[in-house]
Amino acid sequence: MSATTPLPRPAATLLPTARQCAVVAIFTLSLSWLLHVLSGTPYLGVFGRIGFIGAALLMAYSIAGGVHPRWLGPGPARLAAVILTAPVAALITALATQRGRFLAYLGDTQTLVGHVFMVVLSIFFGVLFSLVAMRNERKARERADQLGIELEKNRLERELLDARLRMLHAQIEPHFLFNTLSNVEALVAAGSPNAGPVLRHLIAYLRAAMPRLNDADATLETELQLVRSYLELMQLRMPDRLRFTVSAPAGAGTLRFPAMALLTLVENAIRHGIDPNIDGGRIDVGGRLDDTAGKLVLWVHDTGKGMSETAQPGTGLSNLRTRLHAFYGDGARVDLHEVEPHGLRVELHFYAGGKA
Amino acid sequence: MKRYTGLIADDEPLLRERLRTHLAVLWPALELLDDARNGPEALDLFDLHRPDVVFLDIHMPGQNGIDVARQLARRAHLVFVTAYEQYAVQAFQQGAIDYVVKPIDRARLADTVERLQRQLALPLQPDAALEAMLDQLAGRLGQRMTPSLPWLQWIKASVGNSLRLIPVDQVRFLRADDKYTRVVWEEGEALIRKSIRELAEQLDPARFVQTHRSVIVNLGCVSEVVRGVNETADLHIRGSSEVLPVSRHYLYHFRQM
Repeated sequence: MSATTPLPRPAATLLPTARQCAVVAIFTLSLSWLLHVLSGTPYLGVFGRIGFIGAALLMAYSIAGGVHPRWLGPGPARLAAVILTAPVAALITALATQRGRFLAYLGDTQTLVGHVFMVVLSIFFGVLFSLVAMRNERKARERADQLGIELEKNRLERELLDARLRMLHAQIEPHFLFNTLSNVEALVAAGSPNAGPVLRHLIAYLRAAMPRLNDADATLETELQLVRSYLELMQLRMPDRLRFTVSAPAGAGTLRFPAMALLTLVENAIRHGIDPNIDGGRIDVGGRLDDTAGKLVLWVHDTGKGMSETAQPGTGLSNLRTRLHAFYGDGARVDLHEVEPHGLRVELHFYAGGKA
Repeated sequence: MKRYTGLIADDEPLLRERLRTHLAVLWPALELLDDARNGPEALDLFDLHRPDVVFLDIHMPGQNGIDVARQLARRAHLVFVTAYEQYAVQAFQQGAIDYVVKPIDRARLADTVERLQRQLALPLQPDAALEAMLDQLAGRLGQRMTPSLPWLQWIKASVGNSLRLIPVDQVRFLRADDKYTRVVWEEGEALIRKSIRELAEQLDPARFVQTHRSVIVNLGCVSEVVRGVNETADLHIRGSSEVLPVSRHYLYHFRQM
């Protein structure tokens, strides 16, 4: 099972920790000594009773934390258990120490007052110690959560770095490059007037697709240019199978945009949607800027082969998610939609204002 | 002298034209059929006209060149035409089959034409080395494609008026809801028609477990397991306030982890 699976409460947490045992032992020893001095009763006798009550309350506290009823949280359950256990434990000590003289013990006002005093004392200290222990536990939990948040932050930073590094590797597929060059060669050999424009598209594509270490100068406009160049080249190669449109959302051209983010989607649409489809299909790249909220939606819509429900998600999509989050904050989303009768639509949703 | 016929199969029209032009110069006697634009068309045209020579692009829609070559077996002389198939080129260099790299170098194609002309004088013979090489090639190409896992990777759900594909990694849990099943994932929830029973069979059991007749949960999203009475438990889910039941029958998933 995965490492992130939380452990269920194991039996060990039903028992108190060594530290809790030590605190209760020291406290009951001191309290017994105090009572021994004040009342003059033999020390061992006092400690026998106080120590037993302390141990019983500690067990009640621990067990109630592990097995509490659904309608009662662990906190209230612990307090209730401690309060209920105190008189019972005190009664047991009285029964055990007085044995045959138990009725006399109950009849004597002075011992009865002493007993009630002990019960009240048990409840008081029991509740006090429970509250302190619960506060310590909560603090420990908060520290663990804080640590978890730090770890999560580190993990995200690492993922982003990974995503950038992967982007640097093998962006330009040799297969794509040589096939395109073959087409250019064919155009040149045939003296086609298309040769010039096609070469310019290839140059624009290569320039944009060259590895870059940061996204600092990339904008949505440069990204759409890159996408257009790429699609022009692909259309040259499959003129009978590919149709496309690329339209920019008005007023969003200068927006900073993670380089290659849309291109990845368009390449996927060609590779997995259009290319394997004998009849090809069309690709529409577009966007919509919701001016009031500054929310931007970009999409790559294809009418290709579509995606099977068991298709393994590639690293491209998770990379894209990581980079969008880093760029535009956690509100950024990548949605996939099925296109009827076949095809795929990928939408990027984010707020243009950045990490707001 | 017998007039030979040839077939070009490539999905890129400019490249088909280019090869045709080269061949017209190098081998004017070769009669070229109409071109095939994909794998299935290549097979149809072959069956119809029985050409002597077939120039096959490896990367084609429908059926790739390797698959077509296997089906043609030794019924024609084959030449692969490829832009850049690193693995394939290694295999070709073992010599069992001829190949030309795009963009086509005319001198290189001239060698191929010469070889073909020599071979055409001899009868076609079954060639075990060729079959073996094609099998090997098909294997290599197969490996390069990401294998489709048997487990469900995406859940299709109607959200608004669109059909969303939700990556299973983002799904927190699935819970039966009357005739439907409710999917709860990172970005919301939706109803789907697949039953819990179907889903339990289709989802990767290392990540998703059924915890109740009506519940499947993503183990990675469980934040706490609280034991209840009678061998049952409650699951708390990260990012959701819903508490899910674990029935006695499924409690073993959460024991001794």
